[in-house]
Amino acid sequence: MKARPQALVLASDGAGARCDDSAVVGMESAAAAMLTHIQGTASARVVPLNVMMELTLNCNIRCLHCYNLDRDEPQGATAPVSACGTAKPELTLDERLSLLQSLRDAGTLFLGLTGGEVLTYPQLFPILDRARELNFAVQLLTNGTMLQPGVASRLAGYRNLLGVSISLYGATPEVHDGITQIAGSWRRTWDGAHRLRRLGVAVRLKFIVMRNNAHEMAAMRAAAAANGFSYAVDVTITSRHDGSRSSLQTRVDDRQLDELYRGPLRDLIPTGKREASKSDSFACNCARGSCAISAHGDVYPCISVPWSAGNVREQAFVDIWRSSPVFQHIRGLRLADYPACVSCSDRPYCSGNRGAAISYSGSYTGVDPFVCRTAAVTRRIATESPPRD
Amino acid sequence: MSVATAKTDSTARRWRRDSELPFQRLDEETIVVDPRNREVHLLNETAARIWELLSAPRSLNELVHILADEYDADGDELRAAITDCVSGLSDKGLVVSAGGAR
Repeated sequence: MKARPQALVLASDGAGARCDDSAVVGMESAAAAMLTHIQGTASARVVPLNVMMELTLNCNIRCLHCYNLDRDEPQGATAPVSACGTAKPELTLDERLSLLQSLRDAGTLFLGLTGGEVLTYPQLFPILDRARELNFAVQLLTNGTMLQPGVASRLAGYRNLLGVSISLYGATPEVHDGITQIAGSWRRTWDGAHRLRRLGVAVRLKFIVMRNNAHEMAAMRAAAAANGFSYAVDVTITSRHDGSRSSLQTRVDDRQLDELYRGPLRDLIPTGKREASKSDSFACNCARGSCAISAHGDVYPCISVPWSAGNVREQAFVDIWRSSPVFQHIRGLRLADYPACVSCSDRPYCSGNRGAAISYSGSYTGVDPFVCRTAAVTRRIATESPPRD
Repeated sequence: MSVATAKTDSTARRWRRDSELPFQRLDEETIVVDPRNREVHLLNETAARIWELLSAPRSLNELVHILADEYDADGDELRAAITDCVSGLSDKGLVVSAGGAR
């Protein structure tokens, strides 16, 4: 008999996934091997280890690039509608509490809570209480503006809170507040981030690179480093889940992309030629080890992929997870099913972002030209010899 | 309470898992996350069974008694393995002393 724990080692963020949505905030500093192994096992055995739960579409800021909906339009016009044409209500607290038990039973460990702005959801703390009782490892995604002292202290009291991801859009109030369209939001976001960290909560800043803030990217990274925050950088803005596309106007153009990757983001591109995988799989963790549940109960492959596999109001989560046609289809996809990607020489440098693909093209196996251009720029810079300044 | 004490006081001291730590079964193994130090632990099948049993306070004697029915192992070997496992879990802060002896 061997009763010793098999491995008691450090672990790191959500390896095995291409996109950032299943990354485990708060675990970035630890070693990668254990979590890579765990995520790989969950994916291979098709266990929903990572679930992102969207608690509300409500938000207290109006970001130009928001992927949910165009917040400059009347919300009633863009809110999801049911088959009979009426506005679908968001899940109730009771429905969410019941859903948490279903997720627990299905094998979920890493539970992300997001919005809209998650702190506008009035029943957040009952959700967190239940998540603690059910021993989920919780991550919160927020804009940070509502992290007043009382809220921050209360959050810090949850020992199962792994970390908090806070979005930051500029090094200066002018740029950040111009994107959120709310004066004072930059100051409140920083205050919230500092407040949480002082209370011992792991905080990771998330930088979304846009046309309006690209020139501040170096300063944003420097500010994060100077203040001791870890951060993630994402250049991909997608079309919105409500079908509107004005968010795409915030994307960096090709010249900015090139300048960014040669300049302030250069270290994000490892130098050297990468070989294409020999595998016929082109899979990320979508529908294998992770999924998301919208504020209205739709089960998505990922929070950025608005392709409903079913609704938890109509079907048990576990049934949707195991046997929905959408998830079965995704699990069966092979590289050959991605026609624009199969022979693309930039594929080793590509994020393969499925959220961007489906939001732009309407097809999970389609492409978003911006993602293709990003891969091309990445390849060009990575393989330049000698590196060009 | 030290590991050494745990071993020498093995018949009396009761243990329980830290009830606030996130964990989940993944087939026969159990993942335990410790947000305090950003560690993830993967317990093999036997350690996972001990983790499960320690949802309620139990002494090493109780664990040995229960597991003796489940595993084909020599009594001394079984006790040593369980003691070793609980000590390892205790060292990592995953299980804690439940206080009083029975």
